[in-house]
Amino acid sequence: MRHAISPLFLESADDDDRFLVLSGDHGYELFDALRSRHPDRFVNVGVAEQSMVGIAAGLCRTGFRPCIYGLASFVPLRVLEQVKIDLCYGSLPVMILGDGAGLVYSVLGASHQCGEDVACLRALPNIAIYSPCDAHELRACWSEARQGSHPSYIRIGKSHPDDIHTRPVSGTSPVVVSEAGPSSARSVIVATGAMVRVGLQFARAHGIRCISVPRLKPVPAELIPLLGDAQRVAVLEEHVSAGGLWSLVLEMIQSVGILRPPRVEPFGLRDAFTQTAGDHQHALSEHGLDDGQIAERLIRWLDANPPAEAAE
Amino acid sequence: MRTAVFDPRVLRRHILHMAYHGRSAHLGCALSLVEICAALFSEGMQYDRSDPLAPERDLLVLSKGHGVLALYACFRELGWVSDEDFSNYLGNGTRLRGASEADVPGCEVTSGSLGHGLPVAVGMAFGLLLGQTKRRVWCVVGDGEMNEGAMWEAMLFAAHRRLGNLTVIVDANGFQAMGQTEEVLGMEPLASKFTAFGFETVECDGHDVSAIASALRSEQETQSAPRAVIARTVKGHGVSFMASDNRWHYTRLNDDTLAAALEELR
Repeated sequence: MRHAISPLFLESADDDDRFLVLSGDHGYELFDALRSRHPDRFVNVGVAEQSMVGIAAGLCRTGFRPCIYGLASFVPLRVLEQVKIDLCYGSLPVMILGDGAGLVYSVLGASHQCGEDVACLRALPNIAIYSPCDAHELRACWSEARQGSHPSYIRIGKSHPDDIHTRPVSGTSPVVVSEAGPSSARSVIVATGAMVRVGLQFARAHGIRCISVPRLKPVPAELIPLLGDAQRVAVLEEHVSAGGLWSLVLEMIQSVGILRPPRVEPFGLRDAFTQTAGDHQHALSEHGLDDGQIAERLIRWLDANPPAEAAE
Repeated sequence: MRTAVFDPRVLRRHILHMAYHGRSAHLGCALSLVEICAALFSEGMQYDRSDPLAPERDLLVLSKGHGVLALYACFRELGWVSDEDFSNYLGNGTRLRGASEADVPGCEVTSGSLGHGLPVAVGMAFGLLLGQTKRRVWCVVGDGEMNEGAMWEAMLFAAHRRLGNLTVIVDANGFQAMGQTEEVLGMEPLASKFTAFGFETVECDGHDVSAIASALRSEQETQSAPRAVIARTVKGHGVSFMASDNRWHYTRLNDDTLAAALEELR
């Protein structure tokens, strides 16, 4: 997915004289193409994330349409109050691209890992939150964010080489990426961002429905009909479950008032920091979320809590 | 409409009346700002007196948002706030709040959480420079506010990007919320710090309108350096029993103190 970012910078700069990218000295080669064709549209503000958000707000208030790039740990997390006051309060159309979200920076430890950005931002009015799973979803989220008249956050998690979708997606609503087999409509996997990959693999192997959720705010209410008669839902995310997609699914189910609501199982980061060095899968394993652990847990999830209908 | 004259005595009376009506604190930090605002509105800024949102206006950013009563006093002179705004200040459902709010025409930014206004002002100055306009940005900050790290980040950027269209005015009243600035977290020497950060810096008497105005207008050595005016002020200036008494950061006016203060400003 990450390979898709640079072309989006370039296209946006080509299309719109008001488009600028700001970085707090992060991103290295990511901006090479932009800097080469539009040298004035890239602004490295230095290692100064707080003022970067304010500067973006000032640029927006004088007619520009800035995109702030940063590591999710720093933007939006470190600068949460600047995002609240400088961007959200005035509902300024500034985009934030938070790279390396989740446990991508496994070797650098808790300082660089970010499993709480969505929970923090969900509480702020006016901002849209996106968590694309591949280049196609990223493009759809980017397009919607660029057209919005309010701030947006696009969460960039672990980038896998292969796309999930085989063709462009038309919007940011929840989308079914794997259909249910004839006997398994009562179980659904819901996933967002980097976790769609492992959810999809399992869903295909076991013939169950898997849904990717690229937009987290405004609330993706279109998800509820896609759950059908599901009696159990597994929610996969590289983010703490509390305040993340798991909470969101529970809230939506509760607010809709489904007669026989499904049991919703969290597969997210534990309420703990990672403790040891290692690769991305190792960091996930500390939370019971490496590929093998997720597959085992999903098998148990399928076996346990038989659907109400089967139990009757 | 009457012609705005920005007489500091009149502005201070407006501040006192609004603070009394609204049972507002933050009197001292507004009173220290009066001559700075008077100089900006009478001689410093380019703006349209009939339209606070005129497209070609200079931008005034009050980074020390708690001093907003001084801005409202000027808006009152300009007719940008109504008699109703004035007499119902801080009443339920009214639009003027106790800190600078971007949705109030004339205020430009939301501040009050300190360390926000200057970075936004720097972004505005950068944007105006990129847009090749002659408009300027005037940013009023507090000396206590200079405790905030984001202020210094923004100053580095302003100098690095040669924002000659930015003027920072420090309301150096020597106090912050809980005491004298030099006792809480020493910021002096402010002028040489600004100079070291790449600003052309001048100091002036912050209660002498013509001295401030000439500092705001003084010839720039280069067109490419941001400017700083360190305005030496007294917190609570203009009312003898409020001057340099930090209790007026918190104290509300009652009938007696309002009458006594107005008596001094007749």
